[in-house]
Amino acid sequence: MSFWDASFLWLEPMLASLIGAGLLGYLGFFVVLRRVAFMSAALSQVSGLGVATAFWVGSFFGVSPHDETAFWFSPVTFALGFALLGAVAFTLPSRSRRVAPESVVALAYLASSALVIVVLNSPRIAQEAHEIGDLLFGNAVVVRREHLVQLAVGAVLVLAVHAVFFKDFLFTSFDHETAASLGVPVRALDLGLHASLAVAVAVSTRALGALPVFAFLVLPAGAALLFSERLKVVLVLSVAFSMVSAAVGYWLSWTWSLPTGPVMVALAALFWGLGGLKRLAGARS
Amino acid sequence: MSLIQLEDVVIGYRRGHPLSPPIRFSVQEGDAIGILGPNGAGKSTLLKTVLGTIAPLSGKLSHQHGRAPRVGYVPQGHRLDFAYPLDALQVVLMGRAGRKGLARFYGRADRELARQALGSVGLTEVAHQAFRSLSGGQRQRVLVARALVGDPELLVLDEPTSEMDPAAEHALLSLVSGLVTARKVAVLFVTHQISAAAGFSRTVMLLDGARALFEAGPTGELVNSERMTRLYGRPVEVRREHGRTLVWLSAGEGGEGT
Repeated sequence: MSFWDASFLWLEPMLASLIGAGLLGYLGFFVVLRRVAFMSAALSQVSGLGVATAFWVGSFFGVSPHDETAFWFSPVTFALGFALLGAVAFTLPSRSRRVAPESVVALAYLASSALVIVVLNSPRIAQEAHEIGDLLFGNAVVVRREHLVQLAVGAVLVLAVHAVFFKDFLFTSFDHETAASLGVPVRALDLGLHASLAVAVAVSTRALGALPVFAFLVLPAGAALLFSERLKVVLVLSVAFSMVSAAVGYWLSWTWSLPTGPVMVALAALFWGLGGLKRLAGARS
Repeated sequence: MSLIQLEDVVIGYRRGHPLSPPIRFSVQEGDAIGILGPNGAGKSTLLKTVLGTIAPLSGKLSHQHGRAPRVGYVPQGHRLDFAYPLDALQVVLMGRAGRKGLARFYGRADRELARQALGSVGLTEVAHQAFRSLSGGQRQRVLVARALVGDPELLVLDEPTSEMDPAAEHALLSLVSGLVTARKVAVLFVTHQISAAAGFSRTVMLLDGARALFEAGPTGELVNSERMTRLYGRPVEVRREHGRTLVWLSAGEGGEGT
């Protein structure tokens, strides 16, 4: 069966990949320029811990991961809740001079990574560990309809917030001090930006997987910044590089039976390499 | 009437760790005030307190008519991140954010004001050039334009000439001085250049939080060899000749002048 004949098999995963990649490619602009790449990795782990915790808590109430779950037991509710708490924690410490923000991010990353393994090894959910692993770390090959809907809703919400507050997010990111001096609520905007990142990571990790999510938040924006010095061009290129990596990566992985997530990541890295070559050529001419 | 009045204000970030003795001064309309002090003296902290971005540890900070004045702020240029893909006009537009409010887009009128502000610092032609591609002096002028575009009553500059050669420094301070006179705004600036404070301010503040030192008064009275030597802890000579202030370190330690 050719790739196009099998469109009924890949249409939903492809849509999820494109939506997630586009969203993350856009957010990557802020992730790269604010130098919070490690924060996005930590948010991914924290939201994963939320998913694992949802199953563990559900096991006490006889909730099966295979069934329709009540909102309060839903893995996505837990993932979002945990990720949003992480976003709050990552925003608050910058007030303190004693604890560097990076230390809090590292603590969250390490503690979440360890606790996910501990929770997954709990005898209460051990038999579900494989399927939970898919939910936790994503599987771009097969995406359930409900995950696609959650991803689309999350993307619309995040992009709507950014459409309204883009000028404010940009100002506080570029010059926090001056923005504060003009009465711009920098702390609230930092929290809003980190929360939007948390939502994007929580909904896309389950559809795409942790590695592609981290890659799409860093590589396309980093590459776009090497290609242009114009704000609009950088934003468009970042989203385009991300979506092209997702679509072509999916097609290549299908055609040559390669692992989907890593192929997407490799393509995104290729754009960075091309950007580096362009810079190098520009410097020599 | 004072734009800002500080009554026995103690600055700092944490209770029990003051960075100054009680400070008492006021900023009037049209004032030009220079702040001098060694590294770590608390100068930038004092600016942040005046700007309202940190609260005083104690004392009272009050404003004319009970409202904070409109402020234009010029940060230390090297603190900005030049990786951002912004052109000069986009940087200047940010100065309108305080007037626009949250979640409101910049309009045509804001863009026109930003162009005018760039023109007022002589940089109309670089409006669409990448901010990072500009020279240090041009970048500082763009930041001055950004501070002016919000129609401030008080202009606050934190070491605006720290990365400039003497000619660029003099050009920027002359520009600011002219704009301040034309627009009748008050200006408060931190500098390490004693000659710059002497040449462009009518009032100076001498601050060294570590030694609980604070003095404010007319520039002609406070900028002298004795006080500068005490403030910086090393021999500084100050001399006035033909309306200019010459400053140099004694014992062949180099010098500066204007």
